[in-house]
Amino acid sequence: MLRAPLRSGAWVTLATLLAGGCVQSEPKPVSPGLPPSPWISRAIPEARGDVKDSPDGTKVAVRYKGWSTEDFGRFRTYAYDDPRPDIPLARPPMPPITGDPNKGRSLFLNRSLGPCTGCHLIQGEDVWPAGDVGPDLSTYGDRRLPAEYTFNLIHDPRTLFPQTLMPAWGAAGLLKPEEIAHIVAFLGTQKGPLPSEKDPERDPRTRAKPQGFGDNLDPTNNPAVLRAEGADDLWEKKGPAAKACADCHAGGALSAMKGVAARYPQYVAQYRRVMSIEDFLTVHAPETTGRPLPEESGDNLDLTMRIKMAANGMPVSLDLAKPEHRAALERGKASFYRKVGQRGHACADCHTAANGRGADKFLGGRLLANVENGLTRHFPTWRTSQADVWDMRKRMQWCMTPLGMNMLAADAVEYAELELYLASFDQGKPISVPGIRH
Amino acid sequence: MERGRNEGGITRRALLRALGALGLSGLVGSAVERPRPAAAQGNLASLGPEESVDATMKRLFGGRPIKDGASSIKLDLPLIAENGAVVPVSVEVDAPMTPQRSVKAIYLIADKNRRPLNAKFNLTPAMGQAYVSTNLRLGESTDVRAIAEMADGALLMAKREVKVTIGGCGG
Amino acid sequence: MADIGLVRIRIPSSIKPGDVVKVRVLVIHPMEIVQRKDGKPVDKNYHFINRVVVSYLAKEIAQFETTQSISENPFFAFAFKATEPGPLRVTFLDTHGGKYEGTADIKFS
Repeated sequence: MLRAPLRSGAWVTLATLLAGGCVQSEPKPVSPGLPPSPWISRAIPEARGDVKDSPDGTKVAVRYKGWSTEDFGRFRTYAYDDPRPDIPLARPPMPPITGDPNKGRSLFLNRSLGPCTGCHLIQGEDVWPAGDVGPDLSTYGDRRLPAEYTFNLIHDPRTLFPQTLMPAWGAAGLLKPEEIAHIVAFLGTQKGPLPSEKDPERDPRTRAKPQGFGDNLDPTNNPAVLRAEGADDLWEKKGPAAKACADCHAGGALSAMKGVAARYPQYVAQYRRVMSIEDFLTVHAPETTGRPLPEESGDNLDLTMRIKMAANGMPVSLDLAKPEHRAALERGKASFYRKVGQRGHACADCHTAANGRGADKFLGGRLLANVENGLTRHFPTWRTSQADVWDMRKRMQWCMTPLGMNMLAADAVEYAELELYLASFDQGKPISVPGIRH
Repeated sequence: MERGRNEGGITRRALLRALGALGLSGLVGSAVERPRPAAAQGNLASLGPEESVDATMKRLFGGRPIKDGASSIKLDLPLIAENGAVVPVSVEVDAPMTPQRSVKAIYLIADKNRRPLNAKFNLTPAMGQAYVSTNLRLGESTDVRAIAEMADGALLMAKREVKVTIGGCGG
Repeated sequence: MADIGLVRIRIPSSIKPGDVVKVRVLVIHPMEIVQRKDGKPVDKNYHFINRVVVSYLAKEIAQFETTQSISENPFFAFAFKATEPGPLRVTFLDTHGGKYEGTADIKFS
């Protein structure tokens, strides 16, 4: 069983022993590679995954600027101590109303709900960009399936297809039964013959695949390169403890840190957990220079990029045999395949290709990346759609809001172990940081 | 993608070090030279009016005939913009760039921007090729036009639609 | 973060006499956009690059008139015919009187 036992169990053991008059010096971690007590986040406030009570009694999530503040606390997360099961299956009867196909079409194209066209192509020149993760529904009406069947399929596809990638729109409370009835009515109108295709970009199956974003190490092409080079000044600058990184790591980051990043993420014995470069900086910098480098701060990102650049061209060299890493990889893989959030998605649903999953297909206008190609060696990356540098943690946190799940702190152990699992696909491949991608 | 050597400009850091040696580092702004007295070239009056693209075209070209340049102008734009704030565009005009047959200007116009004229590239035969590229800010989905003005005054135009979307799964 | 006015120029590593060379150049600059209040543009002296001058062997060969519709940290690419070794200079001028330069030393190899 790949589920990690509750870490709080360790404290119960210690309390029992103390109560029994026996003194234990330190509780052993319950699982190899996990710290004995919860990790206190050293991320910037927007990246800690905090949820606050607002004066009117509702809960408000503290997230990055521009991100939704909606609280999804009732849905399962990656947290190792989150034991909640899947959203229960539900198969209610279809409401006895006449669905309105026009309302159904609006719902189908509604970006705040999906849109459904993110996965499914339908008719219409205004339909763009549709994806092909799910089947083409342009002639769904010709199949003359009973309305009740289609209603169940949308309400909770798991009742019909246990391995489905599709969210349980009704069971998870994303759509009301009446709304689903409108969509059912709309799908009934999707009939042939289809008009001839005027624009090959409209249909995801004929759409040109993106060509990439040019040379990621060219500073005139990738703004992240100039940001990373700016970290050289920070390397030399004395922190509050009157020390600089350069005092112990002389010769500049590129020289002093040569090859270091190739071993990360890794289990750091001093902190008893797996850490990425970003995580390590949050503890190492204040301990040595006195300067805090909170996770997701600009300085942390720039320094992380610079340290990784010192390993550019070198192969990712994780110690995959180490017992703590093997345990962490198992937990990371379990996270990768776990269904989470209101949408009930696993990372694997979009980012692997086997068994009809979404990688290498279009989700809306974007081609889904396949983690088995190895992606972590390009992170941190410039994100052209965000005009900013993102590391792997922010990328993981980002998936949380469209999925309908509260994010964990950027430096959470769960994310670190998930990152280690992802990095295992980069093993042996050359690092090239900063990346540039959508 | 060509590999090249990086040629840095004069950086603030380098300038500070140089001036520091002369005891003048406190005088440095972010410019290479001392800024000339600002002529407020960036205020609304200098920016020109917010206008429709038809008004811009009329203002720039009057009633001059504009021919379809689709066969000689290669206008490269993404169909779907990653981010409206940074939309890469490149224009290449098929012309030998001899003094008699050269492109003297390339105009970039985004129909739906409040001030549709985005840039005017004034070229000379010394360029060897009528090629320019830049990143545009587009407020919304729009047509983008490239208009080439030839040495003899002839005007050619190519245009393409760019869709700007943000957000959502796969947005 | 990089300072305003930092210029980077990228040219091919190997140039032969007579080659038409593609040049990529970037300057760090906010390219301030027009603010709006109550639906109307705010009048102030916006800070953006409005002219780019390219000179080769000390002669001006191109000049760009640019607006706030060019993205932050403006990037430009253009071509020029490399006839002799010597400097290729790109100068950026902004609305606050700023002048930022970058020079690439054209050599043949």
